[in-house]
Amino acid sequence: MHAPVFSSKSFTYTQRQEGVKPQQGRKVMYKILVSAILVAAAACAAMGASAADFPNPLPAETIPKVETLPAKYPTTWSFLNYAGDRIELRNVGSDSREIKGELQAHDSATLLVSDQRPELYVIDTVWARGVRGARTDFITVYDKQTLNAVGEIVLPGGKRALITAMEGLTTFTDDQRMELVFNFTPASSVTVVDLVNRRVLGDIEIPGCSLVYPTGARGFSTLCASGTLLSIKLDAAGAVAGRAESKAFNPLDTDPLFTASTTVGGIRYFPSLHGRIQPIDMRSDDVKILPDWPLVTPAEAAAAWRPSGWQLVASDESKLLYVLMQADAHEGSHKDPATEVWIYNAASKTRVKRLRLVRPGSSIALTHGTEPLLLVQAGERLDAYDVRDGVLVRSMDLPGFRSRMQIDTLR
Amino acid sequence: MVQFDDLTEKMLRGFAGRTSRRSLFTLLGTVLTGAATLPLLPVARAAAAASDPPLASDPNSGEMPPQSTGNPQDPGDPTKCDYWRYCAIDGSLCSCYGGTMNSCPPGTEMSPITWIGTCRNPADSRSYIVSYNDCCGGVPWGRCACQNNLGDRPVVRPQNNNEVTWCFGTQSQSYTCSVAIILGVAIDQK
Repeated sequence: MHAPVFSSKSFTYTQRQEGVKPQQGRKVMYKILVSAILVAAAACAAMGASAADFPNPLPAETIPKVETLPAKYPTTWSFLNYAGDRIELRNVGSDSREIKGELQAHDSATLLVSDQRPELYVIDTVWARGVRGARTDFITVYDKQTLNAVGEIVLPGGKRALITAMEGLTTFTDDQRMELVFNFTPASSVTVVDLVNRRVLGDIEIPGCSLVYPTGARGFSTLCASGTLLSIKLDAAGAVAGRAESKAFNPLDTDPLFTASTTVGGIRYFPSLHGRIQPIDMRSDDVKILPDWPLVTPAEAAAAWRPSGWQLVASDESKLLYVLMQADAHEGSHKDPATEVWIYNAASKTRVKRLRLVRPGSSIALTHGTEPLLLVQAGERLDAYDVRDGVLVRSMDLPGFRSRMQIDTLR
Repeated sequence: MVQFDDLTEKMLRGFAGRTSRRSLFTLLGTVLTGAATLPLLPVARAAAAASDPPLASDPNSGEMPPQSTGNPQDPGDPTKCDYWRYCAIDGSLCSCYGGTMNSCPPGTEMSPITWIGTCRNPADSRSYIVSYNDCCGGVPWGRCACQNNLGDRPVVRPQNNNEVTWCFGTQSQSYTCSVAIILGVAIDQK
């Protein structure tokens, strides 16, 4: 073992001798020594000047000290869900890339933010020995100001859907007193959870149907593989109080609806892969499938302008609808980043603006303040645009992010 | 058509086998859904694949030394997103974890229930039905991530959706990586 080490050192020495002649080497050493002395002297002088300028030392600091958050978060704060692996609270109204806090997330974790109680709810799944061992699905109840876990609701059966975090995997209903959890084993069902008393109320089978969207005062709708919408009304105990299934309206073979949606004036809007928008009124138990309308003109359809992305629709809640769009779309491009955001007046069914993005984006959301921002996740960047003039006002890092993002803005 | 019938039978048996543990409603609903939609699937998707649109490659791919199947009729690098079988894959490539394009890495378990794609082999110009099985219970590093969505559909048709973790019927449902297994020829393009 000694010979290679010795040989290695000899080689290094030889290399140095080849690069610098002995006389030159002494001169270089002298220069380095003089430079070091000068730098050290300058540093001592600077330290002396500082001490004179600041006669009092810094005070002793408190141990322990932990940050807390305001009871009501500013509307410039947003939760960023990194594909269910990490959930981060970030101030998107600041140039300083301010991260306000993080929530634990392991697998397909989803977040609900309550404005009725000072609580956050994260559904997650873990295994007792890392990637193996007993599986536990659970809801963690967090205090909004401390981000401390203040409660837990274990979901029985190990059946919650492990799908990339997205809309429809969970929702509030009953004025946020209940949370609904979509299960997929691959049999479909929904677990009803009482958030006030922090307990599971029961399961509802929804064979052949997927995801949950809040409906009426206490209930949900789910999209079915037969192209219909099944709506289920719940009683106060979380049991089924009524079922209604629409006629088939979702053409899964030719132009299916994305499962991402947004609400304008209480009406939920789903874009389709080929560029329709399908409004559905889920405000009451009497769900109405409203007439769909095209997002593109025949000329734009010929140029293959289509919706694409992940969280690809957003709204200002009162009037305008925002849709991520790409040109030259083709089979398999429906989750690719989009180059533009098209903005529609949902009432008049007309486009009011086209916004060309600085870089292609996959997920969008609008902040709710007096000066709303259009947030666009574009690869490893989170871009914030002024919605009034379409100007990019800020671009933030999402270091190493290569997956799908769900953005939750706050009121 | 023999392969087609075999595929249909295999998928229906998989669904029926799983759902029989649940209620009568679930069994009926799932089988009816499968009967209504699955037989249409390979034909429609083979037709869609015939146009050969470009595959979206994730920049994360390409971090492994090149591999080859060694078979000129099965061309490409199984550690790269643009390998022909990966046309509808979404996940990490098992070839980068000690597995291959059609086998799981040691220490993992292959899920028998899966999602299906139809990909065109550039060497023989045939469209093949490809089963994307997830390997479960191993160590997920996030290496060689790939997102190709040819024929992917919203999760309303879960058997066509690549966002679902298809670790069902395995001891652990923790995702590790995905493989692409040839089930048979979909439609002979000649």
